[in-house]
Amino acid sequence: MQVDKDYYNILGVPHTATEEEIRQAYRALARRYHPDANKEAGAHARFQEVQEAYEVLNNPAERQKYDHGREEQGRDKSSALSLRAIPSHKTLLAMPEEQAYYVLLNVTPAGDLPTSRLPLNLCLVLDRSTSMQGMRLQQVKEATRQIIDKLQTEDSLSLVVFSDRAEVLLPSQRNVDKAMAKSVASTIQPSGGTEMLQGLLIGLKEIERNRSETSVNHLILLTDGQTYGDEQGCVEQAEVAGRHQISLSTMGIGSDWNEDLLDQMAALSGGVSTYIDSPRKVVDVFKDTIRTLGTVVARELVMTVTTRSGVRLHEAFQITPHIRRLEMRGDKVVLGPLGTEQAKALLMEFRVQGRAVNEQSLMRITVEGDVPGQADRRSWEWVELTARISETPDPNADIPPPIVTALGKLAIFKMQEKAMRDLEAGEISAATQRLETMATRLLNLGETDLARAALLEAGRLARTGDLSPEGRKKIRYGTRALSILPKEIHHD
Amino acid sequence: MIKCPFCQTTHVANTLFCSECGTYLLEDDRRGTDPLGTGEIGWVGTEEEGTEHLTKQGSGPLGVRLHIGESGREVEALLTKAIHLGRLDPASDVFPEIDLSEDGGLEKGVSRRHARILKREGTVVVEDLGSINGTFINGKRLAPYLPEALHDGDQLQLGKLLIEIELS
Repeated sequence: MQVDKDYYNILGVPHTATEEEIRQAYRALARRYHPDANKEAGAHARFQEVQEAYEVLNNPAERQKYDHGREEQGRDKSSALSLRAIPSHKTLLAMPEEQAYYVLLNVTPAGDLPTSRLPLNLCLVLDRSTSMQGMRLQQVKEATRQIIDKLQTEDSLSLVVFSDRAEVLLPSQRNVDKAMAKSVASTIQPSGGTEMLQGLLIGLKEIERNRSETSVNHLILLTDGQTYGDEQGCVEQAEVAGRHQISLSTMGIGSDWNEDLLDQMAALSGGVSTYIDSPRKVVDVFKDTIRTLGTVVARELVMTVTTRSGVRLHEAFQITPHIRRLEMRGDKVVLGPLGTEQAKALLMEFRVQGRAVNEQSLMRITVEGDVPGQADRRSWEWVELTARISETPDPNADIPPPIVTALGKLAIFKMQEKAMRDLEAGEISAATQRLETMATRLLNLGETDLARAALLEAGRLARTGDLSPEGRKKIRYGTRALSILPKEIHHD
Repeated sequence: MIKCPFCQTTHVANTLFCSECGTYLLEDDRRGTDPLGTGEIGWVGTEEEGTEHLTKQGSGPLGVRLHIGESGREVEALLTKAIHLGRLDPASDVFPEIDLSEDGGLEKGVSRRHARILKREGTVVVEDLGSINGTFINGKRLAPYLPEALHDGDQLQLGKLLIEIELS
């Protein structure tokens, strides 16, 4: 192996190429330069080069050694992303049936990234329907004014309000006149119903006006009511936004809004949905959102999971910043933006089937993203996971504690998912029982508030056949926040 | 395939948590850590007894015989799955394995879904299901939804209904 040779270039494949892609490239080149077929001068040397490149890249262990060697020599730019994978097992027991195999993957920005903040391109889309009257609107205005104070010169901001119709209060602009913007925010008056789609459409249009190659584009949508008849349109627009690198924070205040809708919109755009149970919390939620956006270094992260034969991905979840199910599209999934303070931890459950072998590659996981702070913007990093499949059990096989902890929290989140699904299917007693079991687990974890909420709702469910709207939200948003460690809660 | 000791759901080998009830599925002797504290929470009795019961999965008593209060009725049940104690109420979709209606359950304050007895990690435990009038072991009231160990000869009390426990 010679690390000064660029084997990828020789085979004409990207660094992220799968074994299959490498094999195909090799076959084509070998056929072209084979000494029997090609008598041109240099063909033989080229054939040997191709042969050498293939021998290294086709062997996962050799390939990893080669890649590391290249990186150490500084021949391949170091990635802006850093991956750390923890597998549940290093040795699997050979058995005819499928077995479970877990991988916890931490995605963080690499340490040497420029620390300058990317410009924000922000739009606030605020519900001003009659029900917002009083404390709610007052707090939203205050939160908006505090956000305006935090803007920097290169940031752009727009303000949109909606009720039965939507209007632009502050057109998207850079270098915002803060005093003027704050006085505009103060003029918001409550009236009318809730028609979200109009607000969303206008908000997205405002963001388009000031988007740039480096801007972090974000729309904050806050509502306190159900929107009727335009849900499908909202979902479609959220997906369009995601494709245009605009993430949505959807926020519901009170208990009267549709959590399925807000959740779906956030997930499709790589954003977050938040339950604001008291108007007093609006200011903190807004400030926290802006602070997190200010740390974004990589936009639109995408993960690709390539499994070897006998291995398949069963399901995947994001564990931090909050728990959510990852919907794979083929072998890819959108992870959303990555900030310096919010490492992403992902937990994947695989099914492995195989005979006894020595060290064998199970899969390759690649994460790529758009890193505007770096000259060559596409950045990627990958990890290869290997395991030995043995006839005898490994006596020292301890499951790494981080995996057990993450799975324990995930188990509660999944029980919540199932309880909601049971409820939807009209299986009241099954849902009740699940909520009760969930409460027990939560008590064991020391999550007494959430356990109490689950118990209360289980009782209500058994009596009335349904959950309260607050309870539904409390359980849903509470279980997804189980993975949040105390240190991640910020105050300033 | 492995089976959840708590709810009997089957899972593929190496599964760490039951997808139905969230129980940690790894055998004790291979357990590197116990983040949830399941199994250790709320045990009563001396420590030696506790560890003895916890050593092997599948060991321990096979069944339980209940000697019920004034009616003197005796019921035996296998501990292959959780046994619910309460009052039958088809209208509310409550079908306990052991129906205490005929033992004066209503008068003595037994809830429809009162408690359940099950075997967890070799130990027989009883869990109060958030009953109105409470579940007691030898006069000590249990916290709702926190299972506690049940021993041969224990006096189990649901509301005011006394039940003597015999493990077999």
